[in-house]
Order: sequence, then C-alpha cells, then structure tokens
Amino acid sequence: MFDFSWNMLTYFPPGISTYSESLDDLFRLVYWISAAIFVLVQIVLVTFIFKYRTRPGHKSIYYHGNNVVEFVWTLAPTVLFAGLGLYSDEMWKVMKYSSRVPSPDVEIDVVGQAFNWHVRYPGGDGILGKRHARYRTAQNLFGIDPTDIHGKDDIVLTGEFNLPINKNVVVHLSSVDVLHSYFLPNFRIKQDAVPGSWIDVWFNGTKSGKYELACAELCGSGHYAMRGVLNMQSDADFATWMDAKITAKKAILAAQVANPQPEVATPAPSSATPAGEHGSSH
Amino acid sequence: MAAVATTQHDHAHVATHDAAHAHDHAHHSVSFIRKYIFSTDHKTIAKQFLSTSMFFLLVGGAFALFIRWQLAYPGEPIPLVGKWLPDTLVSNGAVQPGFYTQLVTMHATIMIFFVIIPMATGAFANFCIPLMIGTDDMAMPTVNMVSFWLVPIAGLTIMSGFFVEGGTAAAGWTNYPPLSASGTGHTLWVIGVFLVGFSSILGGMNYLATTLNKRAKGMRMFDMPLTVWALFITSILQVLGTPVLASAVSLLFVDQVFHAGIFIPENLLTSTGGLFPNGANVGAGGGGQPVLFQHLFWFYSHPAVYIMILPIMGVVSDILATFARKAIFGYKAMVFALMAIAFLGFVVWGHHMFLSGMSPLLGTTFMLSTIVIAVPSSIKIFNWLGTIWKGNIHFATPNLNALGFISTFVCGGLSGIFMAIGPIDVYIHDTYFIVAHIHYVLFGGALFGIFAGVYYWYPKMFGKMYNETLGKFHFFLTFITFNLCFFPMHMIGVGGHMRRIHDPYVYEFLKPFQPINQFITIFAILMGFSQLILIFNLLWSLKFGRTAPRNPWRANSLEWAAPAHPGHGNFDRDITVYRGPYEFASPQSKRDYLPQWIRPAHVDAEQEATVVGKH
Ligand code: HEM
Ligand SMILES: [Cu+2]
Ligand SMILES: [Cu+2]
Repeated sequence: MFDFSWNMLTYFPPGISTYSESLDDLFRLVYWISAAIFVLVQIVLVTFIFKYRTRPGHKSIYYHGNNVVEFVWTLAPTVLFAGLGLYSDEMWKVMKYSSRVPSPDVEIDVVGQAFNWHVRYPGGDGILGKRHARYRTAQNLFGIDPTDIHGKDDIVLTGEFNLPINKNVVVHLSSVDVLHSYFLPNFRIKQDAVPGSWIDVWFNGTKSGKYELACAELCGSGHYAMRGVLNMQSDADFATWMDAKITAKKAILAAQVANPQPEVATPAPSSATPAGEHGSSH
Repeated sequence: MAAVATTQHDHAHVATHDAAHAHDHAHHSVSFIRKYIFSTDHKTIAKQFLSTSMFFLLVGGAFALFIRWQLAYPGEPIPLVGKWLPDTLVSNGAVQPGFYTQLVTMHATIMIFFVIIPMATGAFANFCIPLMIGTDDMAMPTVNMVSFWLVPIAGLTIMSGFFVEGGTAAAGWTNYPPLSASGTGHTLWVIGVFLVGFSSILGGMNYLATTLNKRAKGMRMFDMPLTVWALFITSILQVLGTPVLASAVSLLFVDQVFHAGIFIPENLLTSTGGLFPNGANVGAGGGGQPVLFQHLFWFYSHPAVYIMILPIMGVVSDILATFARKAIFGYKAMVFALMAIAFLGFVVWGHHMFLSGMSPLLGTTFMLSTIVIAVPSSIKIFNWLGTIWKGNIHFATPNLNALGFISTFVCGGLSGIFMAIGPIDVYIHDTYFIVAHIHYVLFGGALFGIFAGVYYWYPKMFGKMYNETLGKFHFFLTFITFNLCFFPMHMIGVGGHMRRIHDPYVYEFLKPFQPINQFITIFAILMGFSQLILIFNLLWSLKFGRTAPRNPWRANSLEWAAPAHPGHGNFDRDITVYRGPYEFASPQSKRDYLPQWIRPAHVDAEQEATVVGKH
C-alpha cells in the first residue's frame, strides 16, 4: 500500500487548499535547484578525490587561489539565492500578510488546551461574542464576555469540527495554557497558538472529506495525541450541520431560562475595557 | 640545558632534544591533583573537555536510541535496559509519553551544550590556539580551569533533574515558556544552562585574549591557520551571544521561582484547570509575552549553531590542505567568509520563529537575511573543492572525515535553504525535515569535523598514533549508517511527520511511515554502536599505539614544531614565524611542505631535523 522512494517529493499528503498546489510547486522548484547543486558538488568532490588521489610520481601544485574565481562563485550563489528569496516572498505574502487575507466567509475561534483543540462558532446570530482573557476559566475557555449578548449563542466544540469547502475561512487562533501549533497538513498550513495573543490563519479548502488536525509544538506529555478532525463539507451539508447545532444550542438556552442555574463564577470586569483587546468581530 | 627534561610527563623521548626549556624545573613539585584534575595547562584542560564530552556523547546517544526505539516499535519494551528503568519512566519497559518528552529534551540539551559546544570550542580552542600560535599557554590559565569545571557541574545539575519530583526538563532543548515556567526539572535546566553558558563566556574571553596577545614572534593575524581564525571569530560570538542566553534563562528563572510573569500572559490555565501563578494575575496587569523568550533564546541560539560549526570549518580547512599537500584556495576569502557568517548570524534569528506570530514583514526580512547567509557557506564549499583540486590527496582517517564533512554539510546547507524560505517553512517547521537538517549540519557537519580533528591531533595530544585501520573502519561505518539514518527523515518530514511526538501512529496520515521509522532506527542503532570503535581506538592507542613522531602529517603550522607530546610550556625551541601556514608544494623547498617556523636560509637542513619518523 505504500511505495518507498528516495524522492521526497512523493511524500506530500494530498493537498486540498487553494494555495497548497502553489506551495508544493515552490517546494519542487527549490528541491530541483538544490538537487542539481547537491549532485554537482558531489560529482566534483568525487571526481577530485579520484583524480587527485596520491600515487607514486603524482605531485600537488603550488597555488593559493584566484580572485576572479572567488568573485564569480560569490556572485553566482548571491544572485541565485537572493532571487529565490525575492521570488518566494510573494507566496509568503499570500499566506501571511493581513492585507492579503481575503474577506472571510466563515470566521471561527480556535484555542489549544493541553491536549485538545476547541473551536467556537458564532452561532445563530452569526456574530462571535466579545472575549477577553480576564473572563477565562476552565468552563469558559474562550473568555467569552458574559455581558455580551452575541456570546450567549456561540457554539463550542472540542476535537472534531466542520467547515464548508470553497469558502475563505479565517481562524482566530490562541491558547489557554502553553504554546501549541495548529497544523493542517493537507492544507499546508501551520501556525503557533500563542497564549495571550490572537493570531489569524486563513485557508480555503477545495475538497470535502475528513482531514487531520495536528499539534506541532511540544506542549507536554500528551502532545503527541493532541489530534483533531476537520470535516470539510459542501456548502449545503455544512449549513444543515450548522443548523442542527444552532437548534440544539437554542434548546439548551431555553432550558436555562426556564430553569435558571447559578451562574458559573466569572470575575466581573475590573477596569475599563482596553481598546482593541475586546472581541474579535469586526 | 635540558638537564631535567626526563622528569616531564612527556616521557623520555623529549630528553633527546637539545633545545632550552624554561619550564622544566617547575615540575618536580606539581601534585597529581594540580596536574591532572585542577590543572591550568591548556592541553590537560583540552583533554578534560574532550573526555567529558565523549562521556556525554554516549549518554546523549543512548537517549537517542531510546527515542528511536519508541518511534519504530511504540509500546514495546526497550531491549536490554527497559526492565531496569523505574515505573515513573516506563510502563512494562516501554517509554511513557512523559519520559519521551524528557528524552528528546535531554538528548538535544546534552548534544548541543555538553557535546558539540565543549568539543568545538573547549577542546579544540584549548588544544590548538596556544600550540598553533606558538605560545606556552592561555592568557588566563586559571580562568581556563574554571571554564572547564563549570561544564561537569552544569551537566550534573541538569541530569539531577531525573531524580526530582516531576522529573527532568521536558519542554524541548529550546525550553519555551509557558511550558517550561514550572517544575523543578526546568529550574535545574535553567541553572545548568546558565553555568555552561558562563563557561562558554569565560572560555571565549580567554581565547580572544590569547589570540590577540600571545602570538609568536613574526606571526601576523593573516599568518594564522584557519583553525585559529575560526576559533577567534567563534569566541567573539560566544562573548557577545551567550550573555543574551544568560538573560533569557535568568528571566525564566524569575518567572519559575518568583512568578514574575515576564513570559506568562494574563489568566493562564494550568493542566488542572487552575490559574497559573504569575505576577500578571495580580491586579489589572497586561501580562507577559511568551514570544519574548523565543527572541532572546534565538538571538543566542542561532549564533550558537555557528559556535558549533565555525571551529569545525577551520579544522576541516587545515586538514584538507595538509592531506591534499596544497595551499588553501583563497585563504583570505575563507577568513572573510567566516566573518560574514558570524556577522550575519546575528541578524537571522527570526527564521526559527516564522510561525510565532511575529509581523509577517519581519518574516520577509529574516527570510532574506537567512538566505544570504547561505552565500558565505557556499563560498567555503567552493574553496574547499578548490583546495583539493590538483592536490595530492592522502586518505588518512582525519582526511576521510574532513571529506565526509564536506559531502554531508552540502546537504545540510541546502536543506537550510528550504527552511529559510518562509512559506515552505510554514509547512515543514516542527517536522522531521528540521530534524534531518539539524543532524546533517550537527552530526554530518560538526561531529565528522570533530572526529577529523581528534584523529588529526591525537598524536600531538597523547604522543601516540591511533590505529589507522580501526579509524577508517569507524569512518566508513559511521558515514554509511549516518546517511541511511538521517536522509529518510527529510522524506517523512515532507510527509508531514511532526517532531517530538511519542507515538506518530495516533495519526492516520503518519501510519504508513512506520516502516521508514523502523529503517531509520535500525541504522541509528548501527551508527550508535559504531562509535564504540572510536572509543576503543582512542583508549587502546593510548597504551598500545605506535609512538608518534613530532610532525606525523608533514604539516606546516606551529603545533608540529613542538615535541611529540609537549609538556608544560609546549615548545623546546624559540619560535619565530617566517611565512603563512599553507606553504605546501612551495618551490622554495625540496619537500612538498614548508613549515612556518623554518628559517628561510636553512630550509632544507632544519626541515630535516623535524622530518617524520624522527623527533
Ligand atoms: C546554509 C546555512 C543554513 C541555513 C540557511 C539554515 C537555516 C535554518 C532555518 C531556517 C532553521 C529553522 C527551521 C525551523 O525551525 O522551521 C534552521 C534550524 C536549525 N539549524 Fe540551520 N541553517 C543553516 C545552517 C546551519 C548550521 C551550520 C547549523 C549548525 C551547525 C544549523 C543548525 C540548526 C539547528 C540546530 C536548527 C534547529 C533548531 C530547533 O528548532 O531545534 N543550521 N536552520
Ligand atoms: Cu502539542
Ligand atoms: Cu538558525
């Protein structure tokens, strides 16, 4: 079922995001350039070792170098490598520059917690409620502001979650304890989840199916098992799935109103809300 | 004049020299402890660094094999040793997840801080600098002694973590907070790294002072062998970079012990769901920033990778020239390339942090600066090839290792290009591709260079020749098993295989890689056990090796002017330098070499006196 090959290009997991193909192309470009340099240097090395090996009557020459040659072999790699760097910068901008993040069709929050991934959807009102670290407790991992009405219907899932294909997804990523790293191999995306910061990640998946989400940053003994599953669905399937979640959440909220529970203790905001830190909805 | 020469620890053959030796009379009263344990002699200190690092190499290597076993055969008991390990580390003899994270942390910590850095700087700088610049000892011998003794103290501190509650450090050798901000093991790690860093700073200062002030008569900076140049530039890195590491771990210490919250953001949860104790939780604080630690850490640790490779580049240069019987191609270009690598090394640290969430614009900058650092590395490769071009290449073990170094270093440099490119790094960061890179530069590069240097200077260190057959056998076994062990790591890295994971097969997409992991493990085990040949050779030759001549390799640099096993004070003659270190095949000499110390008018007669076979 598995073919061994010395060519590392054959090992990519299937790419299914809009930029996975261009990233693989960039990788292939660098691979072939490197492979050419590698083979060339090894051939020269082995040739010299063979040709200039010691043997009776063979002598070395008295020679200290040549500045023209030095100049050429300084310039050549400079041009080649700097060119490669400048060329690749475009791809970097596409993936990372906030000015290049497309307008989101779907926005979610994701936090890592040793050793699970938690996801928050905006719920029925389509708006993620405001959040701040000061509200965070073990029960309220996202630090949803209890006073914000938009937060009440937000849906929180752990481990397995769904997203629609052919949509620009923006993930607001953070962590509640240590560093984690949000890694979707098939999407060619990875981003550290840094406690105390919210970092945006975007992607657009083109194929439905179940894909694995991994943690790529050592986060403790259970790190290896911090696995999630992302279920990519067609638009219609996703809408159906989401509606079911929204309905279920409504039912829970209604039950709470009918039969109020003592609020889970959340510290009241002690100072004025610092501008910019509050909430993610734009 | 040489009346008391027989009392030297040099053995009797030194007595045959008629030259003056001003230090001889001091040796009657030197106690065993001062001579072998708290010695201030640079050669003894070099040997202490060497043997300590060799010991740690075996410990770190054993940890690596435990790791490899778990990746190939997860859940199966470690052969031979598994049943002896305590239940806190293993279950039924198999590595537990917590133990696994301790193993990866300790393996890398030991290899970097206690093997490669002490070997590359401590052992080589101590042995080579005074001898190669023609002086009697370091500028500050006592500081030098302290610099060594900090290493075993630091090593014991870190290793003692295995015996404390919660176990030893387990947050990776990079030790990022918040994970590293609690636990006794992490505090011990921080103290140990601080101490070993202090050793590095003391050593670096000493090497700088010695190189600047104690060169033999007539030796200009541009008469120094590349080994000395490389160690000199490395020392600048040590002195400028290590204090930043010290500040990083000190701040982490303050977080661990006093809960200052420097790296700890507000309202962090612990694994039990409680609040992480930190200053930022008191009152309405803003909170600390974990990424700050990464900046401080890599500001040191990127230059540190050059601390591990620059000395080796120097050593390899000298060995290649000697065994190719040919001058270094572009000596000054080699020196400038070393300087360029060292300088650029301080402006590329962010390439370890492409995914830390720093500004993408900064990512662009780091990507370009990193890619530019590949240029001086390429220059060095080209000049090495130029050096052996039209040479007369001898294949003694040191040269085999040096040639092996070139071959593998090319691969490590090229994999560096992949990771230097930000968008590609997004995908391969924290995968086995990085592990492959690290090992191609640090094992394939630094360690092969260290082997080369150890074999090369063994005759001068111990007055004995190592066994050439065993040496060659060790090289070929290591070279083959090395490549078969580490090359496939690139492949599973491209497949997305994360690093530092206890059981990859939790993931569906990694399950197909188990056969490759088993393949890697088999060659890792073979490679590990091949190192016993090295250890055996080094120890066996101490006693049974052929007595070394003064200049066994017919080399040009000053260490070969010293007696075969130099005593305290090193030289038995006055040293004046008349020419550069690479006058091989010079028309001025009948022989294919012309040492730096030979007087121009007496080339043939004096060379006769130090020729191979006589001392
Ligand atoms: C051509 C020169 C080189 C380039 C362009 C380069 C580039 C890089 C980059 C971009 C990374 C970060 C990868 C990541 O974590 O995603 C890295 C990691 C690393 N490099 Fe290099 N490198 C070069 C040479 C070296 C040398 C000579 C050494 C050591 C002797 C070295 C040792 C390391 C180590 C130890 C790491 C991994 C650190 C860790 O995350 O544990 N590199 N290199
Ligand atoms: Cu993790
Ligand atoms: Cu680096």
